[in-house]
Amino acid sequence: MALEVPLGRLQRWLQEVVVHPGSTEEAVADRPARAVVPRRRVGEVILPSATLRPEERLAIYHDMYLLRMEEALESDYPALKRLLGDDGFRALVAGYVRAHPSRSYSLNFLGAHLPDYVRAAPGLRRRAFVHDLARLEQAVAEVFDAPEEAALRPEEIAAVPEAAWDRVRLRPIAAFRLLALRHPVNDYLQSVRDERHDHPALRRRDSWVAVHRRQYTVRRQELDRAAYRLLADIAGGKRLGDAVKAALRRRGRRPRETELFAWFRGWVGAGMFGSVVTGETGGPVLKDRRQRATRTG
Amino acid sequence: MGHSHNPKANRWGLPDLGIGVGLRTVHFPHILANHPAVDWFEVLSENFMDSGGRPLHVLDQITERYPIALHGVSMSIGSTDPLDREYLRKLKALAARTRAHWVSDHLCWTGVMGRNTHDLLPMPYTDEALRHTVSRVRQVSEILERPLVLENPSSYVEFAASSMTEWEFLSRLAEEADCGLLLDVNNVYVSSFNHGFDARAYIAGIPADRVVQYHVAGHTNKGTHIVDTHSDHALAEVWDLYRLAWQRTGPTATLYEWDEDIPAFEVVHAEALKARTYREELMARAARGA
Repeated sequence: MALEVPLGRLQRWLQEVVVHPGSTEEAVADRPARAVVPRRRVGEVILPSATLRPEERLAIYHDMYLLRMEEALESDYPALKRLLGDDGFRALVAGYVRAHPSRSYSLNFLGAHLPDYVRAAPGLRRRAFVHDLARLEQAVAEVFDAPEEAALRPEEIAAVPEAAWDRVRLRPIAAFRLLALRHPVNDYLQSVRDERHDHPALRRRDSWVAVHRRQYTVRRQELDRAAYRLLADIAGGKRLGDAVKAALRRRGRRPRETELFAWFRGWVGAGMFGSVVTGETGGPVLKDRRQRATRTG
Repeated sequence: MGHSHNPKANRWGLPDLGIGVGLRTVHFPHILANHPAVDWFEVLSENFMDSGGRPLHVLDQITERYPIALHGVSMSIGSTDPLDREYLRKLKALAARTRAHWVSDHLCWTGVMGRNTHDLLPMPYTDEALRHTVSRVRQVSEILERPLVLENPSSYVEFAASSMTEWEFLSRLAEEADCGLLLDVNNVYVSSFNHGFDARAYIAGIPADRVVQYHVAGHTNKGTHIVDTHSDHALAEVWDLYRLAWQRTGPTATLYEWDEDIPAFEVVHAEALKARTYREELMARAARGA
């Protein structure tokens, strides 16, 4: 005799069982599930097979759920998994997907809240380092998938009238992220990618990294504090003249003007910027050239 | 090869693309460097819908050389949640970009209440579920402006409320919603083992003129049940089902899936090309008028 459960309620029940953090036995006995299907009537909803009880059949879906989430998050956070170890990472994933279950058709977005989550995740050691590493790996994942757009070419920069330079603003490409970190997590990530086992010490040390994509390859460029501040000002929309003046006025190590221009040329050459806009109107200075330069695909 | 006139062709005249392989990231370098003589590729839609980076760049190059069909895992056609219009908009755009011959997904649901389990969860085979799914398939086909193609899933539970077999449900769904079918013969085998039904009766019960594509794959037998892992060569019994189905449908696009422990491209392609043996045997028989 089948228990009559409308389709919508049946799906809610099965989902509650599949994503439950405990065992399947605990899942079917927990309140959200038993509000739809009483524990003792599970056999009136799910048939046994020749070899498995209804709960054992449900466990096939239940057990695969967390493995799938872990696999998806590992693809975006491989260094985090290395740092936490298999058990630690699995525990982090289990807590994370309870707090932030996937709400998208794509697993690409599953890890979007992980850096925020680790700030308060229970039982996490070396939390500050983990947080920085998660931020860096998230930036890499976002830059990998960001829309492709043509980078500003040096000759386009050269075509900007000299008198306009102070007023221009430079817009970074979509595949660009800039991070100020409290730990040398870029070194750690590189050691994982190189499959080295002599990972750098997890000590506190400020670091700054620009993550961007060029020719479909994600690149990570370490900066010093002064370069980071200048690049952050430019990427944040400051007029170029104001950003340079601020760099030359800052306390601490003041870069020479030639150094600033060397950085700037390097960033343009690395393809971090997508367009130049005038400071006053925000209108594009090089609109026609940009359209010709835009790659398709 | 494999594109001869087929008197038994599906009702939409969608082409027999020959023998294809599922496009996987690990094979990108090999494909771009060697342009292997594979007839076509099946592309996992969700892997490219939100990526503007290298995957899409590679896909654009592949679509220049090979026919493509899109295959999705997140349409959640059986869910009682509203259809995801944004997903469908992006899917339609990707189909246009890749000039996909057809767009397929699974007879399943992936989540409710705004959540996505990213699993192909099973439907109960009831009149209520049928009415619900027919309505949604019609809406999707209208949005995509092409008949949706649905694959029979592997499943691990059976609902006591089901009032018809899976193949009866699929047949009625296909007729009432006017959709195509992607017949996965490995899934038929897996589910027949898990639920104890006759796989041959399943094949015989499918409306042949709605089958647009085949899937063949390997699986993992756990003793008490089989899991559809796509991690191995296909068993002879699975190929037997493929041959049986072919006798009903005639030449139909065939795709080999390998998703876990993926070997070199040549290994996957060689496994896919086993289908050619069956295709040639059946085509020769048809030519003799047998």
